[in-house]
Amino acid sequence: MKENGEKIGWLHSIGLTMKQEFKLIFRDEAVIIFFVVLAIVYPPLYSLIYNPEVVRDEAMVVVDDSHSDLSREFTRKLDATPDVQVKAYANDMEEAKQMMARKECYGIVYFPADFETQVMRGNQGHVSLYTDMSVMMRYKAMLTALTNVQMEMCTKLQGAKAAHIISMDGGLVESRQVPLGNTAMGIASAVLPFILVYVLQQGMIMGIAMIHAGGMGRRRRNRGIDRLDEVKALPGAMILGKALAHLFYYLLPAIFALHIVPLIFKFPMNGSFIEIALIMFPFLLACSFMGQAVRVFVNNREGVFLLLAFTSVVFVFLTGVSWPHYQIAPYWDVISRMIPGYWGSTAYVQMQVNGASLMQMKDFYTALWVLCGIWFVIAYMVELLVLRPKYRAMQLACEVDPDALSKHTLYLQGDDDLLNAELLDGDDEE
Amino acid sequence: MLRILVNSITRGWKQLARRPLYLCMMVLVPLLSAWFFFDLMKDGVVQRTPVGIVDLDKSDLSRKLTRNLNAFQQVSIVKSYDNYREAIDGVQRGEVFGFFFIPSDFSTKALSNKKPTLSYYINYSYFAPASMQYKGFKTLTVLANGGIVQNVLTTLGLPSEMVSATLQPIVTHVHPLKNPWLSYNYYLSGSFVPCLLALIVMLITVFSIGMEWHAGTSRNWLRTADNSIVLATFTKLFPQSFIFINVGLWIQYMMYVNYGFPLNCNPWNMIAAMALLVLASQGFALFVISLVPNFRYASTICTLLGMLSFSFCGFSLPEEAMYSWVVPIGYLMPIKYYFLIYVDQALNGIDLFYSRYYYVILIVYSLLPATMLWKLRKHCLDPFYIP
Repeated sequence: MKENGEKIGWLHSIGLTMKQEFKLIFRDEAVIIFFVVLAIVYPPLYSLIYNPEVVRDEAMVVVDDSHSDLSREFTRKLDATPDVQVKAYANDMEEAKQMMARKECYGIVYFPADFETQVMRGNQGHVSLYTDMSVMMRYKAMLTALTNVQMEMCTKLQGAKAAHIISMDGGLVESRQVPLGNTAMGIASAVLPFILVYVLQQGMIMGIAMIHAGGMGRRRRNRGIDRLDEVKALPGAMILGKALAHLFYYLLPAIFALHIVPLIFKFPMNGSFIEIALIMFPFLLACSFMGQAVRVFVNNREGVFLLLAFTSVVFVFLTGVSWPHYQIAPYWDVISRMIPGYWGSTAYVQMQVNGASLMQMKDFYTALWVLCGIWFVIAYMVELLVLRPKYRAMQLACEVDPDALSKHTLYLQGDDDLLNAELLDGDDEE
Repeated sequence: MLRILVNSITRGWKQLARRPLYLCMMVLVPLLSAWFFFDLMKDGVVQRTPVGIVDLDKSDLSRKLTRNLNAFQQVSIVKSYDNYREAIDGVQRGEVFGFFFIPSDFSTKALSNKKPTLSYYINYSYFAPASMQYKGFKTLTVLANGGIVQNVLTTLGLPSEMVSATLQPIVTHVHPLKNPWLSYNYYLSGSFVPCLLALIVMLITVFSIGMEWHAGTSRNWLRTADNSIVLATFTKLFPQSFIFINVGLWIQYMMYVNYGFPLNCNPWNMIAAMALLVLASQGFALFVISLVPNFRYASTICTLLGMLSFSFCGFSLPEEAMYSWVVPIGYLMPIKYYFLIYVDQALNGIDLFYSRYYYVILIVYSLLPATMLWKLRKHCLDPFYIP
């Protein structure tokens, strides 16, 4: 920080910080990775993993004690469904279970000996399904296939049996399911739109923390002074100036992640580009302020990975991607509402996938602006009450002992040998 | 010799004790986030999905349907809409996750045997609520059908057991093995929590070694261990293994004792799996940073692989549904083998024999870095830190 810097206007200082932040990002490969490369590489990678969308031809085995035409017909129909394939017949349950233990199949269908005779006698025939529960989607695929075949067979048998009683074919009431938004009902189109938004948030926060940690490193090496931080701006102007630089860098990555990726992978796109852009603006701004607040926890560049990687998983769960948001405890609910990504990703999904308009999302829009305010205040406090006093303390410590900061590093490393040797030598390495 | 060992291991412990980041990331974060997952999904099953109803018929029959629907635990009718447009608006606003639609001619058609159509609209952007709605709505339509047919048949004087056999000649019994409650917690937390721990173990391993270069202490680190890279890495990582294994066991205690996750095997099988997961993840990370002796690149690789493990290890989309090139990447990560052990042993409780290779592979991962340590040593003697 220049002590003799001429007095500059508030607006002017915003511009200067923005320009400086711009340079800091541009000259730092690691920050570029978070700001740009992450948003370009991660979404397509993720989309590719989940792109198969649904489980097809899940392997099952059949144990048929009935050896009847009816059980064979049932099995044939099961094999014909897209969801499962009948891999083999097993002689008994014991053999089937062994195949399951060897992961040759994930489900067993069992027909008891009296399956056909019961149906023919006008009673009910029983079919049992045993499924592996390690992955829910396997269970769902097998259940869907079994239920569909059961209904189909029931309708057929009902028709034959009931025809002479009353005039009816199949059921009396028809029903149909209409999927909304994610009409393909695939996992990628359900999960990815949330993830896309979170990649932007986490990339931005990690990038900001990385810039900050870089500055801390320079301060440690240079007696508490960061030569690249030369604009003497008030905290508020500084935070705003930096945020503007972040937003500018995020323009293209955001368009790529939220518009181009859905185009490439054919995710549902029912939203208006302009309206989504309008709601993403306060979202990205809130992310920048949040990043400028939480950067206080990061002092080393590589600490960024540690502190922020795990939060991504927690944030995604708080948003309700896997477990619905309406069923979380009030304390988690409060925390989730502090995260820009909760509002941003939910609004993005409602607009892009379900075709909601900005008017319908106005509560989210307002909430994002409120969040901007909250995180701005927190970032302001952090800058004023924590970071600036910390820089001054570093500078003061170095005035007393020029090696104070490098000695502190040695102390933290647990390297007392080297620390004592330094004290004896008294020379400075920097 | 003993003095070297003691000095070296003391240095390892001091490092962990003096930087608050280690305590925070090695103990607090894993335990808190494990509790977060367990507590978040403690209900186990998704229930009472908010749905709407559009009843254009407004007859006794349709009102009865609505009452029946509200009695299901899968859904909860939070709003009644006057028409289709309003209901769609409700879905778009996020008030409801779907709605049940009863057309205006429902009761007249039903009573005159003309096949009315009941529709249900489900927002599939939210997977778990969508499948709960499907269950609820589907059951309702089957019941509606059954109710009407039953009426007709009983009036015709059929005995009631004949009625149900006529309605449903084939019944199915579904046995979700070892998780009959279909608990999401058992299914998701059982894989995600250890995966998160493995990610943190890898990052801490890389961090603690990289910091030696960063702080310029790597030469002295080796000197303390009498210039033996094996001893140096062992004494640095052993204290971490000790803490992580304890944290891992604590997590397992929460899972199996406090939250009642299925544990259908000898508890020692899972204790061994957890200890091996920690060692194998350390081994994996040590291998990476030896192979790529650059603090930031090694961190980036471990973060990327660790984060993607959640997806390509097949916890949610099973591996047989993935593209064939994705599957091998999953088998690259130690967590995949822990997951397979968890499924075989804790969940399905099958013979240890079937999981033998997974344990062996985890042991191999723990020893893997031995092949590359020479490169790490070279870099420690001649360190350069690229910020």
